[in-house]
Amino acid sequence: MDYDAIVVGGGHAGIEASLALSRIGFKTLLITQNLDAIGRLSCNPAIGGLSKGNIVREVDALGGEMAHLIDHSMIQYRILNRRRGPAVQAPRAQADKFTYARLAKETLESEHNLSLFMDTVVDFLLDPTGKRLTGVITERQHTISANVVVLTTGTFMEGKIFIGEYDAPNGRLDEPSAIGLGTNLRKKGFPVGRLKTGTPARVRKSSLDFDKMEVQDGEELMMPFSFDYDSINRPQVPCYITWTNEKTHAIIRDNIHRSPLYGGKIVGTGPRYCPSIEDKVVRFPDRNRHQIFVEPEGIGTEEMYLNGISSSLPEDVQWDFVHSIEGLEHAQIMRPAYAVEYDFINPQALYPSLESKLVENLFIAGQTNGTSGYEEAACQGLMAGINAAQKLKGEPPLVLSRNEAYTGVLIDDLVTMGTKEPYRMFTSRAEYRLNLRHDSCDQRLTEKGFRVGLQSEESLSRLRQKLEKMETVKDLLRQRKLADKSAIQALKMPEVTMASLQESIPELSGFEEPIKYQVELDVKYEGYINRQERQINRFEKLESLHISQDFDYDALDGLSTEGKEKLKLVRPISVGQASRISGVRNSDIALLIVHLDRGGHRER
Amino acid sequence: MREYVTDDIIYALATPWAQSALAVIRVSGEGCKALLATRFSRPKSLKEAGNATLVHGYLQDEAGKKIDEVVAAVYTEGHGYTLEEALEFSCHGSLAVIKEILSLFSQLGMRSAEGGEFTFRAFLHGRLDLTQAEAVQELVVSQSERSRALALGRLEGSLKERISSLKQQLMQIMAAVEVQLDYAEDELDEFVFPRTQLVDLIAQLHHLSETYQVGKLYKSGARIVLAGSTNAGKSSLFNLLLKQERSIVSPINGTTRDYIEADLSIEGIPIRLYDTAGLRESSDSVEREGIKRTERLIGQADLVVFLVDSTLMGHVPEEDERTLVVYNKSDLAKPPKGKLAISAQSGEGVDRLLHEISTRLTSGFSVSADELLIIESERQYQLLNASEEALGRALALVDEDIPLDITAVELGEALDNLGQLTGEVTPSDILETIFSGFCVGK
Repeated sequence: MDYDAIVVGGGHAGIEASLALSRIGFKTLLITQNLDAIGRLSCNPAIGGLSKGNIVREVDALGGEMAHLIDHSMIQYRILNRRRGPAVQAPRAQADKFTYARLAKETLESEHNLSLFMDTVVDFLLDPTGKRLTGVITERQHTISANVVVLTTGTFMEGKIFIGEYDAPNGRLDEPSAIGLGTNLRKKGFPVGRLKTGTPARVRKSSLDFDKMEVQDGEELMMPFSFDYDSINRPQVPCYITWTNEKTHAIIRDNIHRSPLYGGKIVGTGPRYCPSIEDKVVRFPDRNRHQIFVEPEGIGTEEMYLNGISSSLPEDVQWDFVHSIEGLEHAQIMRPAYAVEYDFINPQALYPSLESKLVENLFIAGQTNGTSGYEEAACQGLMAGINAAQKLKGEPPLVLSRNEAYTGVLIDDLVTMGTKEPYRMFTSRAEYRLNLRHDSCDQRLTEKGFRVGLQSEESLSRLRQKLEKMETVKDLLRQRKLADKSAIQALKMPEVTMASLQESIPELSGFEEPIKYQVELDVKYEGYINRQERQINRFEKLESLHISQDFDYDALDGLSTEGKEKLKLVRPISVGQASRISGVRNSDIALLIVHLDRGGHRER
Repeated sequence: MREYVTDDIIYALATPWAQSALAVIRVSGEGCKALLATRFSRPKSLKEAGNATLVHGYLQDEAGKKIDEVVAAVYTEGHGYTLEEALEFSCHGSLAVIKEILSLFSQLGMRSAEGGEFTFRAFLHGRLDLTQAEAVQELVVSQSERSRALALGRLEGSLKERISSLKQQLMQIMAAVEVQLDYAEDELDEFVFPRTQLVDLIAQLHHLSETYQVGKLYKSGARIVLAGSTNAGKSSLFNLLLKQERSIVSPINGTTRDYIEADLSIEGIPIRLYDTAGLRESSDSVEREGIKRTERLIGQADLVVFLVDSTLMGHVPEEDERTLVVYNKSDLAKPPKGKLAISAQSGEGVDRLLHEISTRLTSGFSVSADELLIIESERQYQLLNASEEALGRALALVDEDIPLDITAVELGEALDNLGQLTGEVTPSDILETIFSGFCVGK
């Protein structure tokens, strides 16, 4: 074997997968079409956001890299949804795109176990059974062997971009897509489909009229995404807000027939949660304006990102409607908005470890699995890397549960239900949102990262210290009396905060903010967290009813036809997972429980 | 569920264990046709019968001796009540015949079904959802015509429809909340909690769960105690209501020493009626014990009908919601104006009394007894109640201006409880509602 592991693709999934494999100790090769494109932020210049910020911190707690990259490239930091409650607050940062990508490449280059090579993978090598992967074949006819392969193709597999009547075989504007791999995967029986996404135009900063826009500043205090350090200090720049208007909408409506989306040229399904401006105008005709965030792409560039108006309309139409917007009247469009359509593999063809059910030793992660977003890609890349390493070690895969990480929710959703549109994380996808707070990711995951060989002893001891300090603060609150009750009881009341307690308990000022913040939430939310714990106990009962991978659904009498079909397709690892498959009925689940209760997977 | 299995053949008598013209015995399970063909006078016809066909013939024992002339209704797999291969034998309703057939089935290795097992199988095979399965259970045990009508109404899925509508309304509220949690403040319009919708939904849930009390009344019935001083005519009224001489009636005070009970139906409500010893000071130890029992019964009654002898008057208790004062012997003396009066002798006023009793028993419910949509099962009631309570807590949180993430927990719990009635609501259902109703996404 040339390598222990090969990672195909150098995007956010590929970075995490290759770093995980090489750091755990395996000789790894990362193959990318373009070394200069490693870690590119292809769409918006930002990391984090609601539930996505949590994912970044989950990746960090497990020993991944994304948090470090954004911590050292951010140019604005915000906590979103402060008023909506702690369970749904999340950090979001604007990134300097160039710094982010440069740091990513430098980090890969600093791993001695990791090799980098520029080429395009066009096919896989299989052993004579055709069921086990042994390596890859590249465009320049290299055959490279490895024990495991992680596939992270992003939008490049048979990618095609659209700008009005124009289309080109690109994965990003003017970057050639990977041709051949998609076709070969189809030939091998992989369930390949098409998805679509889009990106807005980039305009030149000096051509914009910021006086006509609202300024959006970041928080005064930047907080790191990573649990590895307590503070960061970087210069911040503002974003701006403007709005579309009736004139903008009229231009779009008048030209809607020229959109490849409405003309039928694009067959892939786009994301409903992130519609193009033409979609918004068509679907919400009553609205007279839509918001646009004007975000800097970096410190050393004039390019600004027009968040909110992605489009695939022809460039002359883009030109007109952009100039109809306040503050953008004289905007110089530097890059046009475009849509991109690409191949994805139905993730129901994967085990929860992200290994393919069709071909052993092949792991798939990121946009290839139908997701959208840098964070969603990174957490899959990390889990695929960890589980490829577990496989190489001959150890069982690490499967995160829905109640310990958004990453667990994401992967379970993908492999259980598949997806029909680019899948993005939402907090409402998680049943136990209160447990998935970003500030407590380390408590749930650091030890797991340590056990698979990715987290350091130091991280573990830092976590222990944090837990000890939290206990000390809680003890202090228990001992102190405020009027007729203890401080800890007082803190349960909505009007009492940790900050207000600090006035009467000056010792509190000796503890770090994150410690006090977490204690405050733990105390205030205790009742709800306990209730959620009870729900989780019920949930775990079904999760712990395991179904073996060779379970014979045909031999189980009484399953509905559709249920049987879906169960055979997904091959759930537990009754809990089975219960989440659409098309599987309550009665099918009851039957499975009855059957498993009666002596496991024996046939009748 | 634990004791039930589905891979064997079960049988049960579907009609009451009583002498009647006809009886029906049901059999369900794969292979039942072939097995029973071995004990049938026309084996080939039975074995090859298609779905929903009738096969006439004789059930016979191992030696070929005829047991009874029967008609078998045949259901092939995927049809019929359980969706399994099944047979329904209509046989003659003599207890001897029924007994012999059941023992024949048992000898063939079939298993006598557990209570509710046919319904369980129907549920397992996806024939019924949970609310429908419960309705079937209730159909079987329903004690009155009215209760049966209610159960039938629900089987058509009217409860399911109502709960679906409640669920839809709740999902709209949740979507409005969830979109606030899933998108940043500055991406959305100013948020106003849909308070009116929530208040309205709570009222609807309350209404539905209240029907439980009415449903329970029609299913389990009520206890009515006839009380009053001695010789007020309680036993005469008792006999009149039952249309038979059950209690000994005599002009002698204290004739009824112990209570007597009987079942009857008043305007569709199953009633257990108690005739009791008259209340008076007595030196007779047997009568004193009887009076003690009367007092105990009065304590447990849903309604006490207190009879006053119009010719003597005497002690008249206060009317309250559990006590109905009735002036008897209206044929002999004029009762006070505007009071409920009857003559247990002539039957005068008894119809009015019956109507008054039914009104009293169903009073306090905002639900009309004519409303077909009534829940009866304890489980349904508890889930609806839990849902209502969670929404009540959500409303309190909204009014206290507590952050939305907590309110969302309560809304989620309410939805979870409703989901347990008809089927789960998944997170993707909520997202679906968000995407279809809100303009979101940068």
